Amino acid sequence: MADPEVTAQGGPAVEARGLRKTFGPIHAVDGIDLALAPGAIYGLLGPNGSGKTTLIRLLVGLARATSGEARILGTAMPSRAILDRIGYMTQSEGLYPELSVWENLHFFASLYGRYERGQLLRSLELVELADRVGSPAMELSGGMRRRLSLACALVHEPSVLFLDEPTVGIDPALRVQFWEHFRALARGGATLLVASHVMDEADRCDELLFIRDGRVLARGSGAELRRQAGTGNLEEAFLHFAGVAPGTAGAAR
Amino acid sequence: MNPRRLAAISRRIAQGFRRDRPTLGLLFIVPLVVTSLLGWVLEGAKTADTRAVVVNLDAGPAGARLATSLTDAAGRIGHLEVSASADEGRARQDLRDDRIDIALVVPATFTEDLAAGVARLALVTQGTNPGEEAGHAAALQQAFGQALGSLAAQAGFQPPELDHQTVFGSPDADELDVFGPVFIGYFAYFFVFILTGISFLRERIGGTLERLLATPVTRPEIVLGYGLGFGLFATLQVAILITFALMHVTLPAIGPIPSISIGLDVASAGSPLVAFLVALVLALGAVNLGIFLSTFARTELQVIQFIPIVIVPQGLLGGIFWPVETLPDILQPVARVLPVTYAVEALRGVMIKGWGLDDPTLQLDLAVLLGIAAFFVLLAIRTIRREVA
Repeated sequence: MADPEVTAQGGPAVEARGLRKTFGPIHAVDGIDLALAPGAIYGLLGPNGSGKTTLIRLLVGLARATSGEARILGTAMPSRAILDRIGYMTQSEGLYPELSVWENLHFFASLYGRYERGQLLRSLELVELADRVGSPAMELSGGMRRRLSLACALVHEPSVLFLDEPTVGIDPALRVQFWEHFRALARGGATLLVASHVMDEADRCDELLFIRDGRVLARGSGAELRRQAGTGNLEEAFLHFAGVAPGTAGAAR
Repeated sequence: MNPRRLAAISRRIAQGFRRDRPTLGLLFIVPLVVTSLLGWVLEGAKTADTRAVVVNLDAGPAGARLATSLTDAAGRIGHLEVSASADEGRARQDLRDDRIDIALVVPATFTEDLAAGVARLALVTQGTNPGEEAGHAAALQQAFGQALGSLAAQAGFQPPELDHQTVFGSPDADELDVFGPVFIGYFAYFFVFILTGISFLRERIGGTLERLLATPVTRPEIVLGYGLGFGLFATLQVAILITFALMHVTLPAIGPIPSISIGLDVASAGSPLVAFLVALVLALGAVNLGIFLSTFARTELQVIQFIPIVIVPQGLLGGIFWPVETLPDILQPVARVLPVTYAVEALRGVMIKGWGLDDPTLQLDLAVLLGIAAFFVLLAIRTIRREVA
């Protein structure tokens, strides 16, 4: 469901200019410029506390920037009108533990005005939870809850998707599935921004943004960044751009 | 405001409750148990100054002598103010309107009856608070004892007997009739506040509020959706409590288990439906107070810590045990801003005095309660932080 207007113009789906957010003396996001094209997966990589979640909250419009501006599908954020085109998978599961799988999904779908049963069932099949519709979320395993959380973020078929550490705590087989699914969404025209601190996921993204202390250290495809850093490994590339000699500090995992 | 989104939020609250048996128990069973307990352990209330009227209908001289010596005795005793009247209807109306606390009616044949040794006097009180009225009656009886000397001039004197009457309820109303109605309101308030506070806190710490705010739902939809969802359970709770207060079922003894009675057997002078409405409006205020105060808590335990701050003062100052007028002057304005104060006045008015919706005091109470509920709705909406409405 890419916005025909934006794709026709070829403009970016997500745009940020000089985006800055300070909490007292802390510069959580310190002047970030972004232009994310439709139909691509972007990786936001950085250690814990580097400003990934704050950047996403600014882009979604859950927080107001201290300065700078963010636009999604051409609309200046914060804007409630554009929220039904945006999907947001939070770092915490964000589910109601006492509600069943179906009730959780149906609840979030209702907030987007989606009531079609078949569509909800299809999103559950996608995350392989169709056989657990009646189970309360609190009885699911951690990986199942992550899957349900993803289904809730996708239920309204958003054009722009922010995923904050979507694969934390899930097993490798499921992680591969998640990424195949993300790729399918991008092929369908969606824009995905995936925050992670797991470097080995990064090569699945079309473009990477290394972020630390609220600033973008480097951007480009995984291959480009490795070449620029003169290393065969993304983790070392990150340390290169962070100005830390490999082996001296654990700025990134 | 999108009604379907509103309904979605209310529905998800009901769905959550369905699987939460302990909470359902807290809502529906615990208030009944606690109400029963309190009913058993109640004690009398503190007494204020007594405003008494002696209604002298006596054609002979004895009545006038009694009235004069009562007034003199009252001056000596203090905390008692006696005035004389010859209009019984007026005195009863003054009792109803709370302008006086007690009336002593001297019948037309008092002088003759006294001579015959069969004199009776009627002691009339409101019948809304037995503890407090017993205090007023005791004060008047003390003066009466001192005034008896003025009547005892003749030989073979028989002191007159006192008949206790009330303008509301029945003279043998027990304290449960007085406290039953207000416990309904108080418990509805208490439990709804705790449940909403914790439930909304879970939204905040569980990440679901963050997720909600990333959808097109509006803040008023969230707050009013909560109001409806919890309001549904508050409605059920209040209905059960009122039924429990009014009913009286005695279970026969079975083997070693003694016979027990269930229900408070409170008489309601007014419509239980009006009492229900009052308690419901109070509970809706509690829903939104819970949402508002959940901002200031980080854990569920901290919500419980609001009990001494929010719930206990209202229990002490809201007129449940001690009438607001008998509170120290400094506390009276405090009592006047507490929702429970208005609910207590309204519930007692409906269930004891038989107020209907046309009663101006009840209308005022309901208006204040609605105003407080609306105020908390606005506060609750404001505490949900989001950059877009």
